[in-house]
Amino acid sequence: MPSVLASFNPGWVLILAGIASLFITMRQVRQVVTIAAPLLALVLLVTAMPNVDLATTNMLGLKMVLYRVDSLNFIFSLAFLIAAVLNGIYALHGDDRIQDGAALFYAGAAVAATLAGDLMTLFVFWELTAISSVFLILRAGTRAAYYAAMRYLGVQVLSGVLLLNGLAYVLKSRGHLGLEAFTDLSDPGVLFIFIAFGIKAAFPLLHNWLQDAYPKATVVGSVVLSVYTTKLAVYALARMFPGQDHLIWIGATMTVFPVFFAVIENDLRRVLSYSINNQVGFMVCGVGVGTPLALNGVAAHAFADIFFKGLLMMSMGAVLYRTGTVKASQLGGLHRSMPWTTVFCIIGAMSISAFPLFSAFVTKSMIISEVATAGYAVIFLMLMFASAGVLEHSGIKIPYYAFFGHDSGLRVKEAPFNMLLAMGIAAFISIFLGLPAIVPGFGHEWLYSLLPYREEAMGYSHHHLFSFEHILTQFQLLVLAIFAFVLLKRIHAYPPEKRGVILDSDWTYRKLGYGLATWAGTVWGKAGPAMSAAFFRMTDKAYTWIEAAFSPRGELARGGALNGAMAMWTAALLGIVLLLSFMAVG
Amino acid sequence: MSDPTDNGRDTSGRFVKRTAEKVHNLHTPSAEGVHPLSQILFGWTHSKGIGNIIFWVLLVLSILVLSVDFFVERHDYLKFANYSGFYGIWGFVAFSFAVIMGWPLGHLLRRDENYYGDAGGPPEGIDPDAPMADEDAAPHHSSEGDV
Repeated sequence: MPSVLASFNPGWVLILAGIASLFITMRQVRQVVTIAAPLLALVLLVTAMPNVDLATTNMLGLKMVLYRVDSLNFIFSLAFLIAAVLNGIYALHGDDRIQDGAALFYAGAAVAATLAGDLMTLFVFWELTAISSVFLILRAGTRAAYYAAMRYLGVQVLSGVLLLNGLAYVLKSRGHLGLEAFTDLSDPGVLFIFIAFGIKAAFPLLHNWLQDAYPKATVVGSVVLSVYTTKLAVYALARMFPGQDHLIWIGATMTVFPVFFAVIENDLRRVLSYSINNQVGFMVCGVGVGTPLALNGVAAHAFADIFFKGLLMMSMGAVLYRTGTVKASQLGGLHRSMPWTTVFCIIGAMSISAFPLFSAFVTKSMIISEVATAGYAVIFLMLMFASAGVLEHSGIKIPYYAFFGHDSGLRVKEAPFNMLLAMGIAAFISIFLGLPAIVPGFGHEWLYSLLPYREEAMGYSHHHLFSFEHILTQFQLLVLAIFAFVLLKRIHAYPPEKRGVILDSDWTYRKLGYGLATWAGTVWGKAGPAMSAAFFRMTDKAYTWIEAAFSPRGELARGGALNGAMAMWTAALLGIVLLLSFMAVG
Repeated sequence: MSDPTDNGRDTSGRFVKRTAEKVHNLHTPSAEGVHPLSQILFGWTHSKGIGNIIFWVLLVLSILVLSVDFFVERHDYLKFANYSGFYGIWGFVAFSFAVIMGWPLGHLLRRDENYYGDAGGPPEGIDPDAPMADEDAAPHHSSEGDV
């Protein structure tokens, strides 16, 4: 390959194609670009030489490594690029230059950030993901989407600012911005970077930008959004904070609390946003454990999640596209008119629920197994709880309320062919990754062979993955949980889907913070003019006094009260000056 | 649709592409808007008493996976996970707890759809033929015992 191409970061291909897409008015040409660019980028990535600085530059005395492939970032960027192809296919039915351009640019920025060889380059593309992705929300064109997009942008840029702030500290203490992992969170610079990553990974209480913005994006937008930002943050955490103990608890909390919100949430795309939180929690927890097998689990689960979560988002996008809503209370019975979408959605649901022979079974289990091996009993119980929880909201609730359950009477067309094709490929990947290796390198072994610690992954695969006891215990968890669903439905103990919004931590800034700001605004609106008036009255008075005393028409000029005494005053002043001078000299 | 006669021609004398027509029939919804594939794949979900059948099948399956566990020696690192039936019972309890908590949490956290004052219609760029979602309709799901 020519050296120019070999040093060309695949992310830049997408970024350039994204910029070009904004100006290509001919729909067919743009469609070719949106599919061809990620394919070209895939070729560049696969043929790239690993563990070499492929592109570097110097800026203001800082060495920036623009492109470096290794075993950890390879698997993330591979998933990002395959997802970009699928997203391109999924968007083919529409004709939206800005959406196409923003989606490509955003994907490219995420890939370029992943393949960055230093923190400053990571920061630049980190910010670009924020700025480009906001258009996917804005394009929805609703009032709610506009406000959500502004909040989203604020939070994302805050993450970038914190990251830059942290980099300044780290540069001072370390003298370079290389990608060596951090160990000490008490260093303020490191803490800033940790929080910056935490915002994008949607740590508990920093999470709500995700459920706020993603469900309000366009049909295509929420599919694209579900892939990149959080998984980029998982990569960044795995790169810079492996084995950071705090992440174990943070991750476990992330897996548990969205379960409760997802049960009562009516907007099915918002349910999936909670599900992103929950799945990223498993990855964050794995980063915290930090053993080779746990990090394998993180990379593998991120890879699998990109496709099954994308698939579920795509199926809900198809429902939204055809029916105009994704509210569970208004849907139901859609399997009658959208059977293909139903099948693909069920495949996504079974994959995320970690049914044996589906993808999450071979990825999530590595993380849980390592948590158990390390002896974290409470964390283990939390992760098992969350596994039952994800079955509830993504495995059962999504397909059940959209496609089965009460017949809403909606009779629509099946999803457009391009959507079905994208869903079909994602479904294929979700099944393929979960298959046993009937021949070496087939099914899950293909994924395992790409992991950062290949030997450990293969060892796990041979000894534990498809052992009878692993399959049995997983079936126990799933079958009994499904039985619980059927039982609760039977005795009418399952809460009905009701319309309404569910309050979450965004209440603090959307209601409380906004209310305080409005109140402060009202107070200022009244107090401000009053204070200015008082100020002007005072200055006015002072001016009048001064003018009365010192102006050419004033008291002093005319002699006034000091009439005839002017010479005496001057003499007295001179006398004081003389006295002071003598004292100073003497 | 044509009406093929025995000689492979339709009533107007043209040859019939039988396979193509079968494929065509497979993705052409009926007058009621029901996709033919849905009958093949999910027709069974409409059969009478299916809720009962699913319930009993799952009950039997649950008992089966729990009882098999008594005959398997497991090697979990955590001691409590080795008790027979641990995964099944934890799954059942976890699932039920998450769902039951939906009642109080729903009362506590659910607000009107326009609580934040920015409610609006569906996003732009959806299917122009999409049926209008009835924003003011009452919830469809007053009782949902149709599993």
